[in-house]
Amino acid sequence: MAAEKYQYELTYVISGVVQQNQVDDIVRKVNHLVENNGGDVLEVDEWGNQRLAYEIDRKRSGYYVNMYFKAPGTLIERLERELQINDDVLRYLTLRMDAKMKRHYEKRKEREAQAEEEADDEDADE
Amino acid sequence: MANDDIDYEHIEYVDYKDTEFLEQFINNQGKILPRRVTGVPARVQRQVTTAIKRARHLALLPYVSESIR
Repeated sequence: MAAEKYQYELTYVISGVVQQNQVDDIVRKVNHLVENNGGDVLEVDEWGNQRLAYEIDRKRSGYYVNMYFKAPGTLIERLERELQINDDVLRYLTLRMDAKMKRHYEKRKEREAQAEEEADDEDADE
Repeated sequence: MANDDIDYEHIEYVDYKDTEFLEQFINNQGKILPRRVTGVPARVQRQVTTAIKRARHLALLPYVSESIR
């Protein structure tokens, strides 16, 4: 696929009543969909079960998944359709990352790397 | 809402995931505060507004707060 790739950020919310193994299935399915269609998954961050700020379909909690990937624009349509069809996915939000968002993301990565380094240093001291 | 701890001029991107930060810009009903109250630069206020709306969509922030529903 020669199409130009963009960097995206995707957050989706899986219903809190869904079993953990099914949650893993959905996450895996999403990741595969990206990878099998010319995309690269950069990072998947599962926030876990969180209380929703308001009720959605009678559900009070949701399993949040935040991911970053590079992909051609045509993938987004298929990905969002997949999420829309899945009744266990309550909400999703895909954003194409512009320069500002990328810088913000890089900065966060740096901070995390630094925090890890410091934690390692502390471990070494002990 | 004069919060001098944060240098708003140097905020480049307001993240919809940072709910703790965004909560400063909503009142107890869950409404977005106007700029005459928040006192942040217009550029930041615009970003805050979109960020809050994104967070609301994902149920990270309420459209209408629990207390008055």
